[in-house]
Amino acid sequence: MSSPNKQFPSEWALRRLIAFVAALGVGVATYITIADSGGGAPACLAGGSGCQTVADSSYSHLAGINVAALGIVGYVLLLASAFLASDAARFGGFVVALGGFGFSVYLTYIEVFKIEAICQWCVASAVLMTILFLLNATRLIGYAGAERELAADAG
Amino acid sequence: MPAEKNDRRTKLLQLAAGAVFLAIVAVAVLIVVNSTGNGGDTSLEGKAEVNRLLKGIPQGMALGDQGLVLGDLKAPVELVEYGDLQCPVCKGYSEDVLPPIIENEVRKGQARIVFLNFTIIGEQSVAAGAAALAAGKQGRGWNYVELFYRNQGEENSGYVTDEFLKAIAEGAGVKNIAEWERERKQLTSEVGSSTADAQSLGFEGTPSFVVRGPNTGLELLGTPDSTAALEEAIEKAG
Repeated sequence: MSSPNKQFPSEWALRRLIAFVAALGVGVATYITIADSGGGAPACLAGGSGCQTVADSSYSHLAGINVAALGIVGYVLLLASAFLASDAARFGGFVVALGGFGFSVYLTYIEVFKIEAICQWCVASAVLMTILFLLNATRLIGYAGAERELAADAG
Repeated sequence: MPAEKNDRRTKLLQLAAGAVFLAIVAVAVLIVVNSTGNGGDTSLEGKAEVNRLLKGIPQGMALGDQGLVLGDLKAPVELVEYGDLQCPVCKGYSEDVLPPIIENEVRKGQARIVFLNFTIIGEQSVAAGAAALAAGKQGRGWNYVELFYRNQGEENSGYVTDEFLKAIAEGAGVKNIAEWERERKQLTSEVGSSTADAQSLGFEGTPSFVVRGPNTGLELLGTPDSTAALEEAIEKAG
């Protein structure tokens, strides 16, 4: 099926991609939250200690809540937005992804310049959130104002 | 109704552009606040060193929240340190005398160390001691004590402010700062209790040590002058 706007992939394809990447994000954020909940840290690949250093930092929590737990909430909202073909879902998904992307930029700055350690799992989450931001931005720009049926049929 | 659709689309994209602008401003503000704030974690000395020293060693509380335990609770020997966080001699022990014992006897499960407050220098020592105990309630008590010593100022000079205590807590990795703030105000009586215990044992200065093990029972060590003397006492006790 062709998309209503040839410059963009079909909304159906975008939604499937968003759902897939958001599901990966839920997995990553859940792993970080569980690993941290017992006072531990996610296991860094190749035996690095960056994950422990980042998990031990006070920046890993916001008002006592693990930032990865906030990540779970964000990814679940993005996953939910992918199941709906409406302007509310398009705009809501974009806003959540924008917030997640902005927060990821901030956390990456904190890792590099304040904690001076890199956690591979946090980088993975930041990359996933960046992809989700781009996908949701593409979805909004390409399909804002499109009829529900047309968008659902596309692809 | 293409015109209505176009209007809706234009409105949504305008809102999205506004959200992007707000997000850029919010991230910029967060980064600027963090880079120009009162230093947070990175203005402190010795944070990486303390993290390396204590990494992987279990921590807990003992004696009704009076003591900060470092090491395995099943270790046969217990070395108790009565210290004052403002005491420069204690700082020297923290930096030079105790690290080899932490690396060897504690890490190998032969001994655990319990830090107890013995506040002889002033009121600021009580505030500092209570702050360390509150960090201990979140499993970061020894990180707090070690980081405090590495950033210690001149006795009773007024450097032990709420901001200083909080910066140490953040640097020590205390995760719930609000809870730590609440706890530290409630733990001053525990600081007083351990100080009274030290006095009842006849100690007059800090740091003072006690060792307890299956071979010797409770033995007062006073202030041994070297790592070797403490290691010998641990070996004899176990």
